[in-house]
Amino acid sequence: MSAVSAPAAEQPPILHLSAVVGSALRDANGERLGKVEDLIVRLGGTGYPPITGFLVNVAGRTSFLGADRVSEIATDGVVMRKAKLDLRPFERRAEEVLLKRDLLDRQLINVQGARLVRANEIELALVAGSWRVVGVDTGPRGGLRRLLPKGLGAHIATGEFLDWAGVEPFVGHVPTVRLRVPHPKLAKLHPAQIADLVEAASRREGEEIIQAVGDDDRELEADVFEELDDQHQREFLEDRPDAQVAAILSRMAPDDAADIVGELDENRREQVLSLLPVSHRVKVRALLGYDPAEAGGLMSPDFILLHGSSSAGDALNAVRRSRIAPELLTAVFVSSQEGSLDGSVAVTALVRADPTRSLSSIVKHEVPCLSPDASFEEVARLMADYNLTSIPVVDDGGQMVGVVTVDDVLEAMLPRGWRRRFGLLGED
Amino acid sequence: MAVRVPPVMRRIRSATRGRPRLPARLSPRRARIFAFLGLLGPGLIAANAGNDAGGIATYSSVGAKYGYELLWTIVLITISLGLVQMLAARMGVVTGKGLAELIREEYGIRWSVLATSAVVIANLGICISDFVGIGAALGLAGVPTQVSVPIAAVGIWLIIVRGSYRSAERIFIWFTIPFFAYPIAAILAHPHWGKVGKALVVPTIHTNSAFVILLIATAGTTITPYMQLYLQSAVVERGVREDELPREEREAVAGAVFANIVAAFIIIATGATLFAHGVHHISSAADAARALRPFAGSYAEVLFGVGLLGASLLAAAILPIATSYVVSESLGYEKGVGRRHEEAPVFVNIITAMIMIGAFVAIIPGVPVISLLVGVQVVNGLLLPINLFFIWRLARSPRIMGERHSRGLLDGAAAVTVAVSSTLSIALVVITVTSL
Repeated sequence: MSAVSAPAAEQPPILHLSAVVGSALRDANGERLGKVEDLIVRLGGTGYPPITGFLVNVAGRTSFLGADRVSEIATDGVVMRKAKLDLRPFERRAEEVLLKRDLLDRQLINVQGARLVRANEIELALVAGSWRVVGVDTGPRGGLRRLLPKGLGAHIATGEFLDWAGVEPFVGHVPTVRLRVPHPKLAKLHPAQIADLVEAASRREGEEIIQAVGDDDRELEADVFEELDDQHQREFLEDRPDAQVAAILSRMAPDDAADIVGELDENRREQVLSLLPVSHRVKVRALLGYDPAEAGGLMSPDFILLHGSSSAGDALNAVRRSRIAPELLTAVFVSSQEGSLDGSVAVTALVRADPTRSLSSIVKHEVPCLSPDASFEEVARLMADYNLTSIPVVDDGGQMVGVVTVDDVLEAMLPRGWRRRFGLLGED
Repeated sequence: MAVRVPPVMRRIRSATRGRPRLPARLSPRRARIFAFLGLLGPGLIAANAGNDAGGIATYSSVGAKYGYELLWTIVLITISLGLVQMLAARMGVVTGKGLAELIREEYGIRWSVLATSAVVIANLGICISDFVGIGAALGLAGVPTQVSVPIAAVGIWLIIVRGSYRSAERIFIWFTIPFFAYPIAAILAHPHWGKVGKALVVPTIHTNSAFVILLIATAGTTITPYMQLYLQSAVVERGVREDELPREEREAVAGAVFANIVAAFIIIATGATLFAHGVHHISSAADAARALRPFAGSYAEVLFGVGLLGASLLAAAILPIATSYVVSESLGYEKGVGRRHEEAPVFVNIITAMIMIGAFVAIIPGVPVISLLVGVQVVNGLLLPINLFFIWRLARSPRIMGERHSRGLLDGAAAVTVAVSSTLSIALVVITVTSL
């Protein structure tokens, strides 16, 4: 589990946000001046985010009190360093959020568990000389403590809570700033997990996740896009200018890019296509000519096809040099004298073979291949019958045009309800 | 490997031209199917679940006691319901969050838990009454309650827990088809259409308390809190995009209109038979069905029973879902129709518990169903103002709704609806409590 246990005795005691909010503001002499309304915290740095100030209500007016003017925070109130009260109106600085208004009761990403959770309580502690947010309680204890009247709720002990290191808050709803807090922890997740989060989150939160991912790592953004379901892909693409869509597409495998172009509005397709790099554009455009439910629509145009007279060593070199994704490159294809497809050699077989042997001597001929208009059932059946992880697609002239890999088939065959781990269920 | 394969390359051509259903890739066709199904979705389901056993009993009483006189209220109620449902759908689309979630985020955990517990109590009561309705409807066909109710309970549970949201929704849409039984039953009863038309536009008001109670009960059973909660959660679960919002709003309004047309036909059917023949008092929906026989022939009774069955099944399925959504949303648990127990344990457990309790209480012989329903009405009456107030406040907030926040006429109409229905609901609670 991703939860950490309550800190042991040598660690600083935990203070609950709900206990501090609503407690008294006192001066150095213990005189009650007003009430604490909210805590201001600065996100964006590394480690536990420090509390930078307080919103306090003194004589009916809400004002700002800097953390440097406070000597002590406890359940029975916040104590000021000096007796003198110097009140300023609150102005939000960059990366500052209000704990109660902006984080409590809202959704957060539990990064280790790769799921969305809700903050029932926010836990504070004195770490490295300043008060900081150390974690979030998502369990029933935190909720119950806040539900009960204050006197009773205070008796509920601190339970297990999520360490802040494993949590990313959403800040898109925070007004005025629209602050751009990076979410570095998200980069630790697999693109498929991030896509799951986007699908489970609301529209705005999903946009925030994608934006954060894209700011740090364009490559990862494209990977996440590939993993999103159609509905979310379309949703996020619609909001983006053509140039941005093209930038994402150019980082994707051509078959995935073609799927997404197919999702775009008819009148946007040409514009987006024209912004793609030439080689990519040609491949994507060729793929768009096929029916998405047939072999042509499933295949990737990236493969290695070598003449039978080449040696196994040449083939291995070609594999080394190529930039094709590993899952697409499980075999090297061999062409005959006339240029038509002759058979295939698994990459493993190449590694094992004597590098000087010619491909024609080790090629496996008895490999089925598909025409671009073979139905999806044909593809699935052949791959199952012949125990294949990839299968070549050949046009009417015998020229190889692409390869269908098992992951594409699996994706299309997955029953609707299995598609997602959580959140929305599969659509039609 | 022992696979025998031809030595030469095989060329495979697809022999069949029929294409496989590849949901993820057939977007244009899917879009067309959606445009059609768009009329049949959560809006229709949510509003029509209101014509359940309790609703049918109320409308039948109205028709039996006052004939067509109260039909004008249905017109006004339709406007209010359509408005409220539209706002719920809009909030679901724009925020991507359920109502309970929004209340929690904007007003804190105490308000959301208060609203949630009221929903649980009220919905449990309605759920019981709908299993009673299932038993009564099948009882007309001679099936004993101890057989029909458990079978229905298991069936509903399987649809919700084992199916996906889409398949469940599709089955729910079939449940609404029996509602067409009421217009047919009404026409078979040969009402005086001139009087019906007049009653729809000309308000008739009596000043006795029985009239006031029935009027409030009609409003109360037609606009029920779980409808908005269910609709908004369902819209979120459907993942409706913002550019589909107009269609979703149309559907919410259309659902409300259809539901109330059905309600009006129940009043017309009973008004044309029971009222016209001097039967002014009925105690349950099944009574109403039986009472139709002498005047409208055996078809009318069958139709009435079929309608009652569909309505009760629909509501008995929707209520556990709506309840479970609200609890999961406000407490932050995983949720989703079709989610397995291990994925969303709390969500599934609440649904299971609702169905079990509903079915179990319904088959206990001699359960005081009527006093149970009265109690439920009180809780619902208290809950509705809270619910509507939150809907009104949240929908008009530019911070939450952005460009789509309600303003001007829409906001004014929503405020009036909140004020009027709250007054009526509180009046109902006062009357029920003082008359106990």
